[in-house]
Amino acid sequence: MVKGGIEGGKYRLLSNEEIKMIHETSLKILQQTGIKSENEEILSHFSKIGAEVDLGKRIIKFSPALVEDAINKASSKILLCGREEKNDLTLEGKKVYCGTGGAALNVLDLETGERRESRLKDIADIAKLVDALDNIHFYLRPVVAQDISPEFLDVNKYYAALSNTSKHVMGSAYTVESALKVISIAEEIAGGKEKLRERPIISFITSFMKSPLQLADPTVLVLMKIAEEGIPVALSTAPMAGSTSPVTLAGTLAQVNAEQLCGMVLVQSINPGTPVIYGAIPTIADMQTMNFLDGAIELGILAAGAAQLAQYYNFPHYAWGGLTDSKIPDIQAGYEKGMNLVMAALAGANYIHNAAGMLESTTTVAYEQYVIDNEIIGMAMRALQGIEVNEDTLAFKVINKVGPGGNYLAETHTVQHMRSELFFPKVSDRSLREEWVSKGSKDARERAKEIAKNILATHKPLSIPSEVDRKIKSSIKGLKNI
Amino acid sequence: MVDLNNVSESLQRGDAEKVEELVRGALGENLLPKDILENGLIKGMDIIGAKFKKNEVYVPEVLIAARAMHAGMSILRPKLAETGVKNIGTVAVGTVKGDLHDIGKNLVIMMLEGAGFEVIDLGIDVPVDKFVEAVTKYKLNVLGMSALLTTTMIQMQEVIKAISDAGLRDKVKIMIGGAPITQNYADQIGADGYSPDAASAVDKAKTFIA
Repeated sequence: MVKGGIEGGKYRLLSNEEIKMIHETSLKILQQTGIKSENEEILSHFSKIGAEVDLGKRIIKFSPALVEDAINKASSKILLCGREEKNDLTLEGKKVYCGTGGAALNVLDLETGERRESRLKDIADIAKLVDALDNIHFYLRPVVAQDISPEFLDVNKYYAALSNTSKHVMGSAYTVESALKVISIAEEIAGGKEKLRERPIISFITSFMKSPLQLADPTVLVLMKIAEEGIPVALSTAPMAGSTSPVTLAGTLAQVNAEQLCGMVLVQSINPGTPVIYGAIPTIADMQTMNFLDGAIELGILAAGAAQLAQYYNFPHYAWGGLTDSKIPDIQAGYEKGMNLVMAALAGANYIHNAAGMLESTTTVAYEQYVIDNEIIGMAMRALQGIEVNEDTLAFKVINKVGPGGNYLAETHTVQHMRSELFFPKVSDRSLREEWVSKGSKDARERAKEIAKNILATHKPLSIPSEVDRKIKSSIKGLKNI
Repeated sequence: MVDLNNVSESLQRGDAEKVEELVRGALGENLLPKDILENGLIKGMDIIGAKFKKNEVYVPEVLIAARAMHAGMSILRPKLAETGVKNIGTVAVGTVKGDLHDIGKNLVIMMLEGAGFEVIDLGIDVPVDKFVEAVTKYKLNVLGMSALLTTTMIQMQEVIKAISDAGLRDKVKIMIGGAPITQNYADQIGADGYSPDAASAVDKAKTFIA
């Protein structure tokens, strides 16, 4: 196990000069091109806080001073808590955490291997699985519970997640009302309104912008409410280079950064210092189909670039990595995930979501994929740890003791350091062929399935106290027992 | 009063000095050497062995425990002989002629010692006749040969042939190992046993002395 929060940031794609050029282009976009909204309430809010609003064209333009002011008000450190303190995350600087993500519609069934619709039970079961997988640091609701009516979806997904993992839970809310209900559930578990603000065991993700440069008005209204409530929230914008942002990666970064800065201005104008996470997650479009691409190497490059921008402003960064366009946990899934995760992590992106379980351009998840990705994340985190250099690790004493022709097998130095210096995989097979054959010649996917089944059969996450559970179920309508 | 559980626990930690001290103390208190061996040293190694199979501890941890076992045995062995308790078996291990690689061989030796075998290290680049000579010289139960190179592994066949020619083939079990070696190759050249790694080499050797 490699704990979250290790510092990345040694991988630098952009020079300081280049970061500044991107920043200045973003300011120019906000000042000259502007952001569109069709909603009167939103337009009038921006007008009130000093943006230049053209009510006819429905365009909001921002002066650099307005943007700089929001940048200065934003918090540079955000605490996201688990129900157990050992699972707390401190998003700041170049600290890296990796977790799940998405709102996939399909699941590869663990028993049959068939693709089927995702259900509420999947949210609960995947939470339980993630709870036991050490290298997955947070739980962002991975699938849509299609067996639940839209009215009760948000409360059910949050409660199914919170009941089955003590790691931090993030999700979305479709309406202001359901956001408030979700917050009240979390307050009940945390022990009150203040307690939840001190130790936020939940947070929200809001896809508040439809690239290019147009506010997704219904979500913006939810975002404004969450900001008012002071619950941590991530802004998310995911333009595709070549279709919803310029095909050049620098242009895509400039645009997505402008979109994020608009979100920062909005949130800081509602509740200065409220915990908001910069969520630039750009990727590219497929030039053959214009579809959204997840496994592209450019996604990793853009994640690394966006991480540098976030660090430039001192914003905690909601990023992504560990994604693929493959339909099943196969070789393509392995290399695409490995490549783009390690790039985001080495760049020091703080909150790398979609890093576990996800397949098929974020439309499908697989239980065994969580187990495999737990291993990929572990390897990436080990890469971040790098090489520790001190007198003890330089090991002159033991080199001198063992001497020419000896060996280090049974040295105390070896025993003392092996567990911290070396990563111990759980899925990878390192045995000799004969042993591998004798165990059934299983590939990584088969081995991962066995681990997943074993966890689901035996793992017991920290449960929510029964009196709290009773209270929540009596006050919140439509909560299912699962 | 020496608690043999302490012997077992110190051994599991790889604390050779403590094991020596405790074994000396136990003998001083007239505990039976056989008891010290079985309820102290071997018990500790068995626990380590079980943890190793479950991937809870790794080779270096097994080896420092084995070294502690060896330290305890060096004190206990003469007393065991006096009371008529025999070694569990004697094994000689060497790397074949032309091959200088020894890390695998040394690992096997340490693991065998840890399991209570008396082990003779024949070294590296061992000529055929030295292997043959060892069989009678040390009254071996098992002879082990190691090779890393595909160009030197053929020496194993020569050794087996020479032992047969000397009329000693039924006196000793022959085990082989090394990166290029397979069970198939062992069968082909008439070796009695092959093991893919050091831990299973110990298990294999135990089957030959039962």
